[in-house]
Amino acid sequence: MFNLLLRELRFRRNAIIGWGIGLCFLPIIYVGIYPEFADQMAGFEDLMDLAIYQAMGISMGGFEEYVASTVTNLVPVIVAIYAVINGTGTLAGEEDNGRLELIAALPIPRWQIVAVKAIALGIALFLILAIVAAGGALTMSAILDQVETTVSAWDLFLSILTAWPLVMAFGMISLFLGAFSASRRAAATIATAVVLISYIGSNLTGMITSLESIQGLFPFYYYDATASGLIDGQDPVNTAVLLAVSLFAFLLAIFFFQRRNLTVGAWPWQRGKLPADAKA
Amino acid sequence: MTDYVIETHNLSVYYGKHRGILNVNLQVEKGEVFGFLGPNGAGKTTTERVLLDIIRPTAGEARIFGKDCRKDGIAVRDRVGYLPGELSLYDNMRARQFFQMYYSLQKGNSDPTYWKKLAERLDLDTGRRMREYSRGNKQKVGIVAAFMNKPDLLILDEPTGGLDPLVQQTVMEMVREANKAGATVFFSSHILPEVQAVCDRVGIIRDGQLVATERVEDLVAQQLKRLRLTFAEMPSADAFAIDGVTEIERDDQSVLLEIRDNLNAVMATGVNHTIINIETETVTLEEIFLAYYGKGNGGNHV
Repeated sequence: MFNLLLRELRFRRNAIIGWGIGLCFLPIIYVGIYPEFADQMAGFEDLMDLAIYQAMGISMGGFEEYVASTVTNLVPVIVAIYAVINGTGTLAGEEDNGRLELIAALPIPRWQIVAVKAIALGIALFLILAIVAAGGALTMSAILDQVETTVSAWDLFLSILTAWPLVMAFGMISLFLGAFSASRRAAATIATAVVLISYIGSNLTGMITSLESIQGLFPFYYYDATASGLIDGQDPVNTAVLLAVSLFAFLLAIFFFQRRNLTVGAWPWQRGKLPADAKA
Repeated sequence: MTDYVIETHNLSVYYGKHRGILNVNLQVEKGEVFGFLGPNGAGKTTTERVLLDIIRPTAGEARIFGKDCRKDGIAVRDRVGYLPGELSLYDNMRARQFFQMYYSLQKGNSDPTYWKKLAERLDLDTGRRMREYSRGNKQKVGIVAAFMNKPDLLILDEPTGGLDPLVQQTVMEMVREANKAGATVFFSSHILPEVQAVCDRVGIIRDGQLVATERVEDLVAQQLKRLRLTFAEMPSADAFAIDGVTEIERDDQSVLLEIRDNLNAVMATGVNHTIINIETETVTLEEIFLAYYGKGNGGNHV
């Protein structure tokens, strides 16, 4: 199992480096330009009252709000896209392109194949976030003496890293959809819709009182991307909910992958029944 | 009591309403090379995938080494080397890395460098990334992967597809050597000479059903020939109504005949109508089989 895990991580090595370094420019640029940008921030405050910005969770009330809006609000959405690409590609994608057949023919239980891919995906997501968090934290240390704020570079590092349960939940939902579905395209379409609906839905329902009761349906609700999340950290209960969603989706992935006819593009319910006239 | 390595009982697979295979009863004896023949879509790959628990049967059961392919799938696959018919490899990996990884995921083989010997024998450069390989080289990778664990059972789906004739011969030698060393081989192919060369028995599957199984030597002894005779003067429609002779096709100038017996009578009839050309056509083992079994009415031969 360990060898399989190493192989999976090796496959993700370039993606981890590419996504990590590429995405770490987001906090580097946004945090890095703040000292020059701070004076103009006051002019944006009225603009931030617009519903469109509120729906996107954007606020520019101060440094903390600015960092939350530009970094902790966006990084999880972008990493969630990687989680969707990788989560659906790792089972459904390999099944689509035929490579899964070689692995499925080895003396490895199916649950181990799913578990290894889930662990590798989890590690990849963690490392991407860690690289981005490190980039953000280092940049913040460099500008900290030029801004007035109560948050430290470590706070920003933790705030980005604690998005892991959220992106992991999307990764496991994607893995489940890939294990359930006969095609990567179908799995990726549904998983992307889940991410986008969750992001927009979580912000919109927060703005409309009558919809607040359904806010909990959206995974983004359980990750505080606002300034308070940056200052006070994440609510452990919300983090536990995201981890529970991840675990549930992972178990569903194993359940359906165990039952599926692999390599033939069959959905779980396409197990087929023997026609009455075909019985021996 | 016969020691069967592969044994299936009324094995059926349905994909929704579509039939994969139906009531396949197959026995492959220990130490034999069994050829599995049939046209595309007949159910060969489905059968192989059920044996490896990649596909689950709708009904019936499949056993390898006496163990249930589903419940004891890990123990079964531990002793099986598999070459899929449609091989898909990891493009960015070098073949060497792939073999090392593949070796590490298998048990039982105590020789971690055996793949190197196989690769050298097939003249495969294992230092290149697999996306750079031709189809033939990719096939070599699949062959090495199937043989590298010295398995007790080899399941090979069209093993010589995409290979040049010299390498085809090498692969056939490898099959024979593995068989001599005690391995059982389950082998699907469309190429008559290689089936004749290595297989002890063949089974033919059509429309998902095993039509018949027979020893290769018995089939080859059927001496089925196919002749196209071109005449100066066309014989009457019933001119070749001769025992052991079937008229397959007829046009303005020629007739195509399938001949199992009474070749002399055919030639005598032909000469009376002035034969101006004789062409022989290749008869595949499958066609010999079907002719032998009356186009698939297999019956008691199964």
